[in-house]
Amino acid sequence: MIEARNVIKKYGAVTALDDFTVDIPEGKIGILGPNGAGKSTFVKIALGLIRTTSGSITVLGEDLDRNTVDIRRKIGYMPEHDCIPNSMTGVEFLIEMGLVTGMSLQSATQRTHEILGHLMMGEEKYRKIEEYSGGMRQKIKLAQGLIHGPEVIFLDEPTSGLDPKARQEMLETINGLTEVSGTNVLLSTHILQDVETVCDHVIIVNNGKLQMQENVKKLMQRQTDVIQVRIGGSTEDFVKQLKKSGITATSGGRGLHVPYVNDKTFEQIVDSAVKSNCQLYEMERTTVTMDNVYLEVVD
Amino acid sequence: MKEKAQVSERFREFKAELTSRPSIVMGMGLRGFLRLLSLKNQWILALVALIWLWTLGFYVLLSTGDYPCQNLEFWDSSDFKRCQPLVYYNDLGLGGVRLFLVTLAAISSSGLIANDMTDKSLHLYLSRPISRLDYLIARFIPVFLLLMCVTALPNLIVYVNQWGEAGLEFDWIKNHKWLLLDILILGSFYSASYSIIGLTFSTAINRESWAAGAFFLFVYGSAIIIEIFYLVMLESGVGDDRILLLSVIHLLDIIGFYIFGTQPFFTAFGLEGIDIADIEVFGVFILIIGSCGLFVNWMISQMEANK
Repeated sequence: MIEARNVIKKYGAVTALDDFTVDIPEGKIGILGPNGAGKSTFVKIALGLIRTTSGSITVLGEDLDRNTVDIRRKIGYMPEHDCIPNSMTGVEFLIEMGLVTGMSLQSATQRTHEILGHLMMGEEKYRKIEEYSGGMRQKIKLAQGLIHGPEVIFLDEPTSGLDPKARQEMLETINGLTEVSGTNVLLSTHILQDVETVCDHVIIVNNGKLQMQENVKKLMQRQTDVIQVRIGGSTEDFVKQLKKSGITATSGGRGLHVPYVNDKTFEQIVDSAVKSNCQLYEMERTTVTMDNVYLEVVD
Repeated sequence: MKEKAQVSERFREFKAELTSRPSIVMGMGLRGFLRLLSLKNQWILALVALIWLWTLGFYVLLSTGDYPCQNLEFWDSSDFKRCQPLVYYNDLGLGGVRLFLVTLAAISSSGLIANDMTDKSLHLYLSRPISRLDYLIARFIPVFLLLMCVTALPNLIVYVNQWGEAGLEFDWIKNHKWLLLDILILGSFYSASYSIIGLTFSTAINRESWAAGAFFLFVYGSAIIIEIFYLVMLESGVGDDRILLLSVIHLLDIIGFYIFGTQPFFTAFGLEGIDIADIEVFGVFILIIGSCGLFVNWMISQMEANK
């Protein structure tokens, strides 16, 4: 869906993207990273709003150096911040957005009512947007990105500023609407739960660099069950002993992560500690969540 | 259930047929123009009505042969270029309505970009398949068309009326074809210039009412200050006509006279011919309009890059 090759983007002395290379497949993809990691910059470059300092980027097979404007016919965009004119009604706003994208009045009107129907908006769609709640405003913002039936929608922090209930509703709405419209999703967020709920693929970005790219399900399956081990002595010897038993430990959090196979794994850890003359301080079976993965990668 | 499934299938399969970029821009512009003329904008409608009434009054004066300069004996009409028939149009279209024209331009242009920047909907427009320039043109069209309604249109009606008085002879049109062209060029020139300056203020001061006030003060304030300064300098014998180029109103008027093929003159407390090289006049004009365009473009590019 998106291919970026050695993309560098500098704002004066600040480097927002640093030799960023990534292949983003079709589907629902999450770009995860802390604030200032370069997520929004990447989304804006992919949308053709800002140009790269160097490097190349291809979106839906189109080279952005050659086509920065017309590519947006295939893309929907939901910005992070509140950007809806209060003076319009929900219906007026969506029709206007459809027209600005190049739809006919008839087509924009019909599509507006279909989308608002999917959003379960009744009479309130004829009310001024200034009367809408935060959740409804977000839904309208999502709807405007889908009005022209894009191949992919870029969602920039779609749950930002919402309370937990509204956030859950918003994520369900994103899942529902993109599912029913068959739209690919590029979700930029720093909230892990958003990625877990919506995405099937995750890209972790930090300091303008790609840190990790993985299928969410595989990631969860592979790393859900581990034994967190903290030892005293030579960690290197301990890891070597474990390796002899056919176990590969990885560093994680405050100590080591040993994949849990069955209860015998505990015995193997104790044996390895004895054989390598290490003191076993802590051994706890734990579930690795996206939080752990994210923190490890970002740290 | 079946019906719902069909709706979902249609929703899933939906592929919008999107029109070309010029059509999008023209559509945005025309919708913006109609919004300016909507009943919500009572001040704009009132000003348009006032300008048209003023024009009508002026035309009545013209048609009855009582155009003021014919009655002013102390002016030597041979030197008084204001009384050239061609300049009637300049007076009719602009001279009488100038105050209202600037006010109308200030009110109608001030919100066009300012509101998009304030509510940040600018980001949504720029994420559509239109470029920054397309967006600016789309915001330029409404105020340009509105100003054309009060600059070129009244003159065109007078033109048609005069043609009617001449017996609707085609020869009259042929003999006055340059006048027709001048009317259109003058209207377009004033409308475009004030639209661009107005949009610049709308971008620089992203509060609608403040932008309108600043535009008005900039155009009129500078005109009054420059005019007083010019007269003082003139009295002290060190006057330089080029000072007038620092006032937007005077600059546009000077070019307006060029368009009608007459020599520019200055009238505040007396009549003076103005001696400024064409290159200086047009150089300053291009500098001002070019700077406005570059500034607006730069401001919007900053909005694109930032949240």
